[in-house]
Amino acid sequence: MTVLKDLRPVYVVGVGMHRYQFASDTNYIHMGLTALRGALTGAGLEFPQIESAFVGCTGIGMAAGRIMFNHIGSTGLAVTQCENASASGSSAFQLACLEVASGRREVSLALGVDKYGDQVRAINKEGINRLSDTAPIPLVRYALLAEYLKKEKGLKPEDLAMVASKNHTNGAKNAYAQFQKARTVEDVLNAKPIMGDFTSPMCTPRGEGAAAAIVCSEDALKDLGITGEPIRVLSSTLQSERPQVGREMGSVAVARAVAEKTYEEAGITAKDLDVVELHDAFAIEELLYVETFGLCPTGEGHFWIRSGAAEINGECAVNTSGGLLAQGHPLGPTGIGQVHEIVLQLRGQAGPRQHDGAKTGMAHMIGLGSISIAHVLRKD
Amino acid sequence: MDLEKPDLCTLSAETGTNGPRLTLNGGACGACDSVHFPITEFGCPTCGAAPDRVSPHALSGAATLLSFATIHTRLSPLITPPCVVGEAEVAHGIIEEVMLVGDESLYADGMAIRAVGVPVTRGEAEMMAVRFEPAED
Repeated sequence: MTVLKDLRPVYVVGVGMHRYQFASDTNYIHMGLTALRGALTGAGLEFPQIESAFVGCTGIGMAAGRIMFNHIGSTGLAVTQCENASASGSSAFQLACLEVASGRREVSLALGVDKYGDQVRAINKEGINRLSDTAPIPLVRYALLAEYLKKEKGLKPEDLAMVASKNHTNGAKNAYAQFQKARTVEDVLNAKPIMGDFTSPMCTPRGEGAAAAIVCSEDALKDLGITGEPIRVLSSTLQSERPQVGREMGSVAVARAVAEKTYEEAGITAKDLDVVELHDAFAIEELLYVETFGLCPTGEGHFWIRSGAAEINGECAVNTSGGLLAQGHPLGPTGIGQVHEIVLQLRGQAGPRQHDGAKTGMAHMIGLGSISIAHVLRKD
Repeated sequence: MDLEKPDLCTLSAETGTNGPRLTLNGGACGACDSVHFPITEFGCPTCGAAPDRVSPHALSGAATLLSFATIHTRLSPLITPPCVVGEAEVAHGIIEEVMLVGDESLYADGMAIRAVGVPVTRGEAEMMAVRFEPAED
């Protein structure tokens, strides 16, 4: 199999965002173009220089990207809309990277934009009932997993709250975050109960927003007068889950498999990672994934988080953006929002949430189904 | 009273504490000899064999409760919190999310539970929903 590293080098040269927010009457075109113009300005490019675009979107409808681009100049660029549930933006980014790496284009755009409310889930059209009326709700499965791990590993509600507190505190330093309020462990524990030990700040909010990333080739770097500091994309890995074995959820097993594969493709180990953006739709996921990604030994995720290793300027900063818990999770943009954060960190442009000396980062997403997708980025 | 989900379960002649006991509508694959739940019109989810290779295979409705938690907020219009949801092994290696009768105090990890039909209101109609209750009488 050919992997990204075997092909032409790909660089992120521009990123932009529209703040994630609760559902509003903000037009999606306004959000999408705000993110796009931010990425163009950061890269030092004009829209006609973008040769192709992949638009991550789950809830707006057919041809959202093409309609949006009518309002910034119909240049004839190739446009493909990409839906992969929560990983739609990550998949759009993967396609843009492959487009450049393969030599098909010199400059490509990944743009995620979404509104909350119109998402239609295929599982509801499967025509198969489930024993539990809550079976299609991911929160329930993760809350049950947390209950299991509480007994298996000695997890405490405070461990979940510590993750949420860290990520909300990071989000308080992020102008694009949906939640920008620092929360203590006590704040999190005393918030509205949802299920089991889960309280509302331990669960991602629903929302809308946009994020964009422009990728290009080495030739484009030389020829187009690009001013954005290039960040190399070392790997791009996607897999879907296999049947559950034992108590480990299929989504957790595939998250591990994708992390291992993407390290191999990038030629790194977990120890090389300085910053990681991961799928913390629920706080328990971060406790699991820091183990499955090899950031700490198996079974010690909660000890590692308690030690402060995942905090900014810790051993490996996890979810400096605030993650899905605080930056938000508008679906289509989420994976590209992760890339936005990694790029800022590797450029040293993350302001008050900068992790000193960050050189290598990973953006890792889970999409309903489940699929898992990861990208490793490095400052050369 | 009609079963709410007749594709998943079948009424048995026995009675539990909270209603009639139910068996679960599983499938047995003639190609790979695996058992799955529920049986569907699509074939074997393990090996991909076509539907004509799969035969109905009733599961007893007895299960082992693995973990459980109380839902405190209305995550779905179909539930009325507080309610208890768990994960249970309904046959060897087959883990399903299940809805439990009553409150958390009735349950413990590892305990035996069983499927029963419990009345629920859906719109204007009253139906029999599949729920699980402690198997010890």
